[in-house]
Amino acid sequence: MTRDTSKRELRLTWYATVAFYQMYAVVFFLFTHIQPPGQPWYDPREVSQWFARHHGGLLFGLALIFALGGLSATSIGLITYSIRRMSVSRAFAYSYLILYSVSAVPGFMFICVALTAGAMRPDRDPKLQQWLYDLGFLSFAGTMGVFLIGSLVWMTAILLDTNGVFPKWFGYLNLCNALTEVVVAPSWIFQRGMFAWNGLISWWVDVVVFGLYTGVFILLLKRMIDRDGPLPAEAAA
Amino acid sequence: MTTVRRQATRRTPERIPGQGDMWVLVFFESLVFTSYFGVYLYYRGRHEAAFLEAQSHLDLGLGVLDTIVLLTSSWSIARCVQNARRDRHRAALRDACLTAALGVGFLGLKITEWTAQISAGRTFTSGDFFQHYFFLTIIHAVHLLIGFVVLGVLAHQLADPRRRSQKIVETCATYWHTVDFLWVLIFALLYVVR
Amino acid sequence: MRRTTGEQVILGALPLVAVIWIAAFFLFPGFTPPMSPRASAAQVAEFYRKHTAGVRYSMIVFNWFCVALIPVLMLIVERMRGMAHRTPVLRYCMIGVAGAAPIAFLTASVFWLLAAFRPDRAPELTQMYNDLAWITFTCGVPFLVAQSLFLAVAIFLDQQSEPVFARWVGHFNVVIALALLPAAFAGLTESGPFAWDGLVAFWGKNTAIAVWITVMALVLRRALPRDHAAATTAEAAA
Repeated sequence: MTRDTSKRELRLTWYATVAFYQMYAVVFFLFTHIQPPGQPWYDPREVSQWFARHHGGLLFGLALIFALGGLSATSIGLITYSIRRMSVSRAFAYSYLILYSVSAVPGFMFICVALTAGAMRPDRDPKLQQWLYDLGFLSFAGTMGVFLIGSLVWMTAILLDTNGVFPKWFGYLNLCNALTEVVVAPSWIFQRGMFAWNGLISWWVDVVVFGLYTGVFILLLKRMIDRDGPLPAEAAA
Repeated sequence: MTTVRRQATRRTPERIPGQGDMWVLVFFESLVFTSYFGVYLYYRGRHEAAFLEAQSHLDLGLGVLDTIVLLTSSWSIARCVQNARRDRHRAALRDACLTAALGVGFLGLKITEWTAQISAGRTFTSGDFFQHYFFLTIIHAVHLLIGFVVLGVLAHQLADPRRRSQKIVETCATYWHTVDFLWVLIFALLYVVR
Repeated sequence: MRRTTGEQVILGALPLVAVIWIAAFFLFPGFTPPMSPRASAAQVAEFYRKHTAGVRYSMIVFNWFCVALIPVLMLIVERMRGMAHRTPVLRYCMIGVAGAAPIAFLTASVFWLLAAFRPDRAPELTQMYNDLAWITFTCGVPFLVAQSLFLAVAIFLDQQSEPVFARWVGHFNVVIALALLPAAFAGLTESGPFAWDGLVAFWGKNTAIAVWITVMALVLRRALPRDHAAATTAEAAA
């Protein structure tokens, strides 16, 4: 069997990754106004008002994520492949694959389900609305453990790699990303201030760093695909 | 002939010490910490009196001691790099151990300080200043802990003649200097500026 | 050489899994007929009081076995190794979604079980758990949609003299993905075909899943022996 030598599948998955992140940004920032997040200190009445204000955008935007959120797997697939091309054990690639597959659940499923439930019944008891609101935002912001460990796995693989798949500085950028994800954890403790889930540090600094990091790795993946040469025999398996 | 070649290699300095990539980390972490400091100054500007009052509970003497310990560790790691460059690997390894010991000392001092503050009732949730204090010192301590891993890599490099790479030694030293540098800024901001 | 021992066992177990799933599906009082999103909190609470046992037992079974499809999904992934692709990227994408999809079903069953756990609690709470379950179950299709799309793309790019799966399987997967998509929008309406009890979002989606499992099982049944024969020949030659 002769393998396809064109890079179509690589390019297709790369474009799907770009499309996914663009959709994610547009939906979360523009349609639904989930980012920047609603205030954590709202009392139940204010939460109900928040849901009412964003009702249409929320339901439609979240439906889009429900429909197309699975495309997030394309970036996971590409990155796993990049780690397989490295000179390190396959354990790194498979760890990354599992970690990030799992991450989809707190990464968008919970917030989509919780906020859809919140928005769909505007006459629900405001205290329950607040419960759903908390579930949505905290499960989204407060479960950075996956990304922390995932980034460290990728970082270690890159730093140990002798095949030069990714530049070493990107390995270090993973460390920066991991450290910035960690500082979002106090959002479980504070309803106000810089560590609230919408705080200056837990949200603003975190989003800037994460945005940069994502943009960088998307570009580096493109470079890797363009460079993708003949496969080492064992990586073909 | 060999001596001439060796001398030639030694006289050609690397344009950037260590892996250029490490400087990306230094730059990025500095940027991130600058934003943390910016947030601190913003909150301080809004609640100056409260911050001044809270700051008075910090032991300036301990802060100075912390700084001296870390600055000494920077000196010892610089000496380590110099020794490695001159192929005095056993001396370099000793300097690395000294650096690690000083790092442990710093950590010990910080733990003592945190315990003292917590038993005096001042915790992460005790108002804005202490939120910043614990956050900045803890995230710095995390960087220090990573520094121990980095020192481990450095020692690993020095210990075996087959592995030695001056580049990696310098890269590790760069990271350690960054940890020290960040501490000096934190010290100035939290302890000194009143 | 690829080892194929045991694959027939996995496939052979599928009919048993299917029977259990279908049983759980029809035994769950909330599916036949599907509960209405328009029901008031009092009506929902009444439902759970009346059908407590039915909900609990069927959902416990569902909870046990909703991940039972994963080995079969891995059989498909293994077949993808034989495709004429340059890289394993599409296989990794498949594995990525195969893990997440059952979690959606699992979470839904947890919410249903929670709703049935204390039938005497405040009706609004029961209704909320019920809502969460239905939204997760109905709208939680992204991984299934992506899975079908990845498989379709993989099949279309598998251009060799004897492709692993016939081209129509690729087209079939695209149709399934399209059939699943509307269910994502169930949160937008409480009545009509797109509500979670509607023709499209409930019957359409669940039928599509059942059809997908059946068709893929049959396709696998034809594809497995080919690889098994190749493996045995290779072993004999070695």
